[in-house]
Amino acid sequence: MIGGKNMNWRVASGSALLLWLAGCATTGSEQGAPTQNAAAIVDPPPRTGARAILIAMPNSPNFVEVRRSLVSEVQKNFNIQTFVVGPATKADDLAAAIKAADPVCVVLMNNATISLYRHYQMANPTVTTPPAVLLMASFIEELQSQVRRATGIAYEVPGVTAFVHLRSVITTPINRVGVIYRPVFRNFLERQTSLAARELVDLISVSVPNDVTAAGLREALHNLAQVHRVDAVWMLNDNALVRDEEFVDDAWRAELTEARVPLIVGVSNFVEPSSPLGTLAVVPDHEALGLQAANLIFDLSDNDWQVENHAVELPLSVKTVVDIKLVRANFGLQPDALKHIDKALE
Amino acid sequence: MTSLHSPRRQLPRLLAWLLLGLGLLYPYQPLQSAIAQGSKPVVHVFLQLDAKSSAVEKTLQEHLPDLAITVFGRYRDFEEGLSNGHPDAVVSITPVLEQRGKTASLQGQRGGKSAEPYILASVNQPLEGSLAGKTIGVVDLLGRDGTQAFLNGLLKATDVKIRRVAKVEDLLPLLEFSAADGIVFPSSMLARLLERTRLAIKTRDLPGAPVGLSAVAVLNPAARDIVVKSFQRLDTPTKRLLGIDSWSVP
Repeated sequence: MIGGKNMNWRVASGSALLLWLAGCATTGSEQGAPTQNAAAIVDPPPRTGARAILIAMPNSPNFVEVRRSLVSEVQKNFNIQTFVVGPATKADDLAAAIKAADPVCVVLMNNATISLYRHYQMANPTVTTPPAVLLMASFIEELQSQVRRATGIAYEVPGVTAFVHLRSVITTPINRVGVIYRPVFRNFLERQTSLAARELVDLISVSVPNDVTAAGLREALHNLAQVHRVDAVWMLNDNALVRDEEFVDDAWRAELTEARVPLIVGVSNFVEPSSPLGTLAVVPDHEALGLQAANLIFDLSDNDWQVENHAVELPLSVKTVVDIKLVRANFGLQPDALKHIDKALE
Repeated sequence: MTSLHSPRRQLPRLLAWLLLGLGLLYPYQPLQSAIAQGSKPVVHVFLQLDAKSSAVEKTLQEHLPDLAITVFGRYRDFEEGLSNGHPDAVVSITPVLEQRGKTASLQGQRGGKSAEPYILASVNQPLEGSLAGKTIGVVDLLGRDGTQAFLNGLLKATDVKIRRVAKVEDLLPLLEFSAADGIVFPSSMLARLLERTRLAIKTRDLPGAPVGLSAVAVLNPAARDIVVKSFQRLDTPTKRLLGIDSWSVP
């Protein structure tokens, strides 16, 4: 159905575009579009004597879900002040919010918010800023070195998490996974390769230029499928590799339909039985991310807020969406697989 | 057109506010049970199972047609549900029921036992000896303090660092990412963990007492009969889904 496919594409590419606009391309993540007329965020009533945590974030659904879970965990120990960041927010606005809240810790959600905080720090090089927990932004591991007194939780779902989930869904073996990447993703993929090796998955990475064409990408995919004989392909959430619907059709859909190799994606809208593409989508579990962030804050609090010693954590929890029709037709469905999938589409 | 502010329309509202002020009318009656209103008894389920809570909920709803079943996958949602949803009965493991001061009306059993051991799993070698300073992952069953106390009891140690996760499946990434030295979970979950991972998992038994299996606590005496009978009638596969093979009346 063309209409459905177009709508699916629009939402999927919209999600990817948001990631691009957030500062750079990313992998394995999706962020909700800012909500028109979003409900006001209400903080719990402050308690005397409790230190504050300032949460700076956009007011859109995924961020709100993480905040809700985080607040429910930490509100017994800390007062919460939320500062909503929008397109018009300036570094001075954030600085004023920090000054007013005098927080023991700031939680910064998304690249734009972190960028404002960096500007604030650069403009005030001698000011001691509170420890910062970075969430829901691209490449937080790289960002950590650019923000003073910061740690956080990576937003990109590690490939190994997706590979282990795929193993529990399909019956065909998953020992070699292929991935196409642009040079900017090299460091990220090096980390992914060693993580995948722990689960005995050989990650085969093929580099393509920044201006790769659909034909060039298809050739790289063909190479992965036919020469390297990969058992699955992992699609990074990189806008340059999913430029538009025609590009995806000409490269990804054309090659993978022919090769019959399962495709792991990081945006749930790419899994759609009416226009098959992704076999499995693995996306962040935002509620669980809030719990993980709360645990991180408690850890920091127990360690006298020594953020510098705290490496950026990897996200522990994901949600899965599976095209069951595609799995049944091509790869075999594991017994009991349906019990372990968040959303099964047929 | 009738004015929204006509005195005739405002009268009932004024009366309601007056009664509210006098404490004669409650806008919300927390103790009012679902059955008193003629609907199905409400049952909240919070268990650490080898299945998504949505799958468990669907199965239980199909097999318990006389009950209104809600399955919670996370502790905070369960806690919120208890406060706001006023269930007639709760299904969980013994420590969760005990934390809330609830007594089991039906106790699940497996292989004739009403409790199961928990184990400590690690990678490459078992975590023997002192666990002081070690980071141990566990599912958040009882909130921050409650889960820490639960873990301390299982490990017979007080100086372990806890890593709470939201779901049982989130324990494996703790080992894959080297984010914890070990993970603690019910022994019945080991087979599923070994199916999922190629890590060299080693385990050791825990010195703490076994932990009670799934149990049903009836909170509203008026719902007792229907709740107990409904759960007793569950077929074998559904009981197995709950991690048990039979029920006993304590």
